Formats: sequence, C-alpha cells, structure tokens
Amino acid sequence: MEISLNKVSPTIMHIDLNSCFATVEQQAHPHLRGKPIAIAAYPTGGGCILAPSIEAKKFGIKTGMRVREGKEIYPDLIIRTADTILIRDVNEKFRKICLKYSPDVVPKSIDEVVINFSKTPNLDRGLINIGREIKKRFREEIGEWISCNVGIGTNRFLAKTAAGLHKPDGLDVIDYKNLKDVYKKLSLTDLNGINNRFEYRLNQASIYTPLDFLNATDNVLRKIVFKGIVGHYWYLRLRGYEVDDFNSNKKSFGQDYALAKKTKDLEELKKIIMKLCEKMGRRLRESENCASGFHLGLVYDDWTYWHKGHKFKNFSYTTYELFSKIMSIFLQQPKIKTVVKVAVSCFNLQPLDNMNLNLFETNIERKRSLSKALDILNDRYGEYIIYPGLMMDMKNTIIDRIAFGKG
Amino acid sequence: MQEKMFEKISVIFSYNAEKNRSIPYKIRWRLRDYFIKSLAYHHKVREGRELLHIFHVTDGNLDFKIRFNTEDLNWILEEVSDGNIT
Repeated sequence: MEISLNKVSPTIMHIDLNSCFATVEQQAHPHLRGKPIAIAAYPTGGGCILAPSIEAKKFGIKTGMRVREGKEIYPDLIIRTADTILIRDVNEKFRKICLKYSPDVVPKSIDEVVINFSKTPNLDRGLINIGREIKKRFREEIGEWISCNVGIGTNRFLAKTAAGLHKPDGLDVIDYKNLKDVYKKLSLTDLNGINNRFEYRLNQASIYTPLDFLNATDNVLRKIVFKGIVGHYWYLRLRGYEVDDFNSNKKSFGQDYALAKKTKDLEELKKIIMKLCEKMGRRLRESENCASGFHLGLVYDDWTYWHKGHKFKNFSYTTYELFSKIMSIFLQQPKIKTVVKVAVSCFNLQPLDNMNLNLFETNIERKRSLSKALDILNDRYGEYIIYPGLMMDMKNTIIDRIAFGKG
Repeated sequence: MQEKMFEKISVIFSYNAEKNRSIPYKIRWRLRDYFIKSLAYHHKVREGRELLHIFHVTDGNLDFKIRFNTEDLNWILEEVSDGNIT
C-alpha cells in the first residue's frame, strides 16, 4: 500500500549549537572570536580535534583530525582544551531556555535538543517565529557569539535534516511542500542515519539519490534493501511520519583511560581502576540501575590486548562493589605486564527496584544508601568533594570529558 | 598566548541596579591596572561549601578569567590570554 507524504503542520524543532565547544570558548575569550581555533582532547600534535570553530571549518579542518594535521592545513590554528565546566553551564542555560517553550525537550547530545511542540499553546504562534525568538534569546541570555541552527519538520528526521541545510545560524522548515526540492539537493549520505555502507546497499537496489529513496516502494526497502522492519521505518521517515519518538534503554556504562605514565605497579593500577569505577558508578546510580556483568580491558606497552567479561550472581551498585568485581577480573590476567590503557564497563543492567537483597549481607541497604548520599554531596558541592580513600591524589589524573552522545 | 595561573588580584566591582548588571570595573594585577570593557561570560561553580563566581572579561587587549570566592571574598586571576598562537 502506498502512503502519501505527511501533510500535517510541523511540530518538531531540532536545535543544534554551531561548533559548540569552539563557539563557547570564543564566547568566553573575545580575542578568539573570528579566528580559526580548535578544541582538542590534548594540545599536543597527536591530540584529537574534538571541535573546530566555524572559521577553522572553512579551511577544511574537521572533527577527528589530529592537531598536527590541523596545523598542516592552517599553521596558525589556535588549539585549546575543552573547559567542561563552562560547556556544561552553557548546556544548562540552553536547556532551560528550550524548556520555556515546551515540556517535551529531549537532549540528543551536549549541543543538540529536540523540542516537541504538539499540544502546546506555543504552536499557535508559528514555529518559525519561535525559532527566531530562541536564536535571539541564546544571543541575549547565553552570549552574543552563540549561534544555532534551527530545523523544523513533521518528524525528528526532517527537523534534523532542516537544521543541517544552512550552517551556520540557519533556520529551515521541511514539510510536504518543499520535501522533494530539499531531497533533490542532497546526497544519500547527507541523510542522517545513512552511512557509506547503507549507501552501498541502496545503490545495489538502484537507489542513487534521496529522491530515488523516497520513490522506492515499502516492499523494496523492507525486503531488498534493509531486509527487515527498518526498511518500513525508512519508508515512513522519509515521508515525514514519526518513527523515532522512543527512548532507547542504556545497555551498559563504561569508562576508559590512557595512562599518562605506563605502569605495572598494582597499587597505581588499583587507584586508576577505583577512579574509573567511581565515574562508572556515578552514571550507573544516576540511571537507577545496578549491574551484574563486568568487563575489563587492558592494553599493554607491547600493544597486546587482554580483556575479560564476567557475569556475577549478585548485582552491584556501590563504587566499592563495582571495584571489587573489576579487581577480581583484573587478578585473572595470565601475565603481569606494563599497562598503557585501562577500560572498564558494566552490563546486564537491572532497575534498582527489582534487585533481590542478599540474605547473608545485612548491611547492603545501608551501604547503598550511603553511596547514593555521597553522589548527592558530589552533585551539590562539586565533583570529587568526597571520594574513596584509595583515590587520594587522583583528583586530576583522569580528566573530565564530555561524551559525544549525551550531555 | 594563554597563561594559566592562580594569583590574588585587586578588583573594583560595579553593580547597576537599573540595568541589573554586575561587572568587574577594574582589576589590578602585578601593579598594573586593567579597565574592563566587557563581560564575555559569567557562571557559578561550587567547590565544597565555597561558591565561586567565574567571570570571563576583557580590557580590549587581554582576556582574563577571574574568580570571586563568596566564602572568603577573595579574587583570584586564573587565566590571561591574548588570542594569539604564541
């Protein structure tokens, strides 16, 4: 059965801060404004560029390049590391402004949100007017250098596509009236969710442009290209119907750390593992989950790799519980070698409410309450204001980072 | 040039009730006065019981990151930069 384009009025707005990390740095440092700068994980040549400024992007400097590659393209490129506290503050202001317009605001990453305006009185004012107002408020309430792309559509996919049409500082609407015209100007990999491998698959079915993709039948997409329900979702998504309005459950939490100074000293490694477990535990507890599966990965200085995962009978929640499980895996290493990188993760998550209590350990509830209380103290008074004794002198060892996926 | 530091500085701070605007007016660092032209960004951070106000300001030649500790009422200069590569 053929389905026509979705002809309802757009209600979804996608907002994307332009070159977020770099723009925020330029906001705080007026002398960096208008200059090609890049925010990198480390300022050294091998450091990875996390965010080039709008000016640096014009020279072809891209996210993921090494600092030295960026400098080869533009020798005067200014390199800075991310000020995570500053970026989180901007993100908080960004979120608060968006929440003034609708209660349904979903953060997609540190610099992207999706606002659903359906059933809100603001819809009557017109989303284009609201988009302009939000841009103005960002400049007035966050900073004059902060700009964003606003995309409006009938579903999340079209809103995100619209937000990418005129970078930087664009405002575009995609609806049934201009949808085909927009698709004409794009390539398959410009569509969010289509990478080179999907492009190859589409090409195999004689689909070479987004317009071909739109004209493909549900049957072709479901049975030939995607070989499953995903094909049907694409059929609906391209026509402006919402299929992405769901919250995916987190399946695991993990942290890793490349050691500044390689070591095989057990005490040193215990400290690092404790800090990684504390960071992982904070995220696990914030999600109101506990975990029974644990994984440890170690990269050695001879570039060999050892890893092991194990599912335990008991569920763990406190940092100490996580640490003891990871350490029990750590001690199973076949050979003690000098470590250059440590990665820990927990999986097999379960909501805290469903967790069985241990019959033989009576203190467990108290320990877990204490763990939660420590998290609240850290949230209220600043990160690592209180931490396990094993982490003494570790405060600045593992640098605070902002994940690309979530704020 | 970007230089990180942790030095006590003298600050004259102004508050305009009509515009509800607070901004450092002048800072004295290493016996030199810098008149602040604009406030680029302001935010707050908690460190234990201490609430810190961080001000990113500029005098037109240099950018300063200064912090005001609401617990002991001290001003600290944390960073100076001029936006150049070296």
